[in-house]
Amino acid sequence: MAIVDLLLVVGIIAGIYSLLAIGMNMHWGDTGLLNFAHAAFFAIGAYTSAILTTPPATGQLATRVVGFDFPILVGLIAGTILAGLVGTLIAVTSVRLEGDYLAMVTLSSAELIRLMIHNEAWLTTGAQTLKNIPRPLDGAVPVSYDLFYFVLVWAIVGACYLLFVRLSESPFGRVLHAIRENDDVPLALGKNTAVFKLKSFGIGAAVAGLAGGLWAHYVYAITSIMFLPSVTFLIWAAVIIGGAGSYAGAIVGATVIVFLRQITRFIPGSVPFGDELAYIRLMVVGVVLILVLYFRPEGLLGNSERLQAGTSEGT
Amino acid sequence: MVLDLQLVWNGLVVGSIIAVSALGLTLIFGILNFINIAYGDYMAAGAYVAWAVNAQVGLPLGVAIVVGILTMSVGAVVLDKIVFQHFRSRSPITLLIVSIGVAFFLRNLIRAVWGPSGHFYELPLTANPSVLGIRYSIEQVAIMVTSLVLLVGVYGLLRRTRIGIAMRAASDDRMLSRIRGVDTERLVLYVWLIGGAIAGLGGIMLGLDAQIRPNMGFTALIPIFAAVILGGIGDPKGAVAGGYTIGVLQEVSVSVIPSEYKFGVGLLALIVGLITRPDGLFGEATR
Repeated sequence: MAIVDLLLVVGIIAGIYSLLAIGMNMHWGDTGLLNFAHAAFFAIGAYTSAILTTPPATGQLATRVVGFDFPILVGLIAGTILAGLVGTLIAVTSVRLEGDYLAMVTLSSAELIRLMIHNEAWLTTGAQTLKNIPRPLDGAVPVSYDLFYFVLVWAIVGACYLLFVRLSESPFGRVLHAIRENDDVPLALGKNTAVFKLKSFGIGAAVAGLAGGLWAHYVYAITSIMFLPSVTFLIWAAVIIGGAGSYAGAIVGATVIVFLRQITRFIPGSVPFGDELAYIRLMVVGVVLILVLYFRPEGLLGNSERLQAGTSEGT
Repeated sequence: MVLDLQLVWNGLVVGSIIAVSALGLTLIFGILNFINIAYGDYMAAGAYVAWAVNAQVGLPLGVAIVVGILTMSVGAVVLDKIVFQHFRSRSPITLLIVSIGVAFFLRNLIRAVWGPSGHFYELPLTANPSVLGIRYSIEQVAIMVTSLVLLVGVYGLLRRTRIGIAMRAASDDRMLSRIRGVDTERLVLYVWLIGGAIAGLGGIMLGLDAQIRPNMGFTALIPIFAAVILGGIGDPKGAVAGGYTIGVLQEVSVSVIPSEYKFGVGLLALIVGLITRPDGLFGEATR
């Protein structure tokens, strides 16, 4: 039953990426904010949870001086909150900027955060991998661990989906949509649009932080190169392909992209182009992104009314 | 603190590369009005083509550089015809997202063809001479001279030629320039030809100064963004000034902050620039 095991692994990754896409959909789909820092929020969640839950490092290779041995739940919650706070902080510096300027500042901020993770070895083990991250209920589940984790991740995805759809339909969400369409209107109606944008940024970043924690506790070991800007771009592709503004679309888009990418690993290297397939799949992601934008700009599950939103040029 | 001349020199070399690259990016923005995220990958592609001609085919570096530049010049036009052209009527944000797709495609094409590891151009080993205590290499001098020649050349093009004047007009007010009879499609063609060539050159300079890697251009994109914004997005003169400023600031900062963080200086300049002078170094501070 090897194929089932492989599908479970891919499914877990798809679930974690779905959480990232849910956060991004709050930023771009609901609020029209161009966030290019998502990989950093993912990293903050992963490293916070990992540092809080691993024991203090010992031995020859240990360059790290911290490690707190807290319960995993504490780590996940702290990672979620910290990612949300950092997201809000980045937004404070840049949220008043116009669309593409915001993109450049958030992208640069994310790289700065990754640089800090890479260089502050006392905290993060720097360029080495941070290892021995504990897994929740490891050895205590009656079924296969991957099955347990798959159910756990997708239960969280389901809960976040319901929460974010409710948020999106609440009065709060309606203000976000108004900001997306034209932020002068809610401003004129007395809404403090800057505060709403900060909240949107913070909440979306927090769920990316939660995804980071779930990632760290699944893969045992993390390193800074897992959080390159290409992760952010993949999530963008997921949201656009799934349909901006639709949380179901975000989940479908993320799942499609993860499958496109991960399925390569199960093809043996002996087939033609076996070694290059990983890159060819990513080329395909690029092509699919462009084709969707051309033939179905509203995405797979998006709604075409959303199409104009957030794309107007300060009119 | 004594200002270390070696760091200033290094900064001018890095600044030359950033200035040239920023000029290409800002020209494209000026006419096409979107930020091309794939620009860094154009740079990398130029560097790789030149490397392939140099190291794999075995032709002299000079020939390889010309081939690399021409390939990216034509390549940028081809990518426009295949991709960007069809999105020209869409919003700048859509074009930005389209360019993410192009970036994915190009970067992974490079990895698929030439592998993920790094390469160097085949350069004769020379001792690095020094003047006034500043050590320099022939490549560094070549980079600086090339960038100055290019900057003067582009300045002349924008000031003296019909196409340059049309470019500046379209960059100022596209609608008005079209009404006055500027052939926009031809202009777009020239912008990609010139912008692509400059991207290729920038990538090759980057490869001469350091290593040729698949993500080299993307990594360089952030200081380039900083230079473009600092100079006022779409303003060629500003991009060049911004490029040298960021390059020198970044390298000189090494004497006060750990060198791992010198890239943060570009980011800081970007944020300060956006807050204090949203219209750039030479722009009017009204918005």
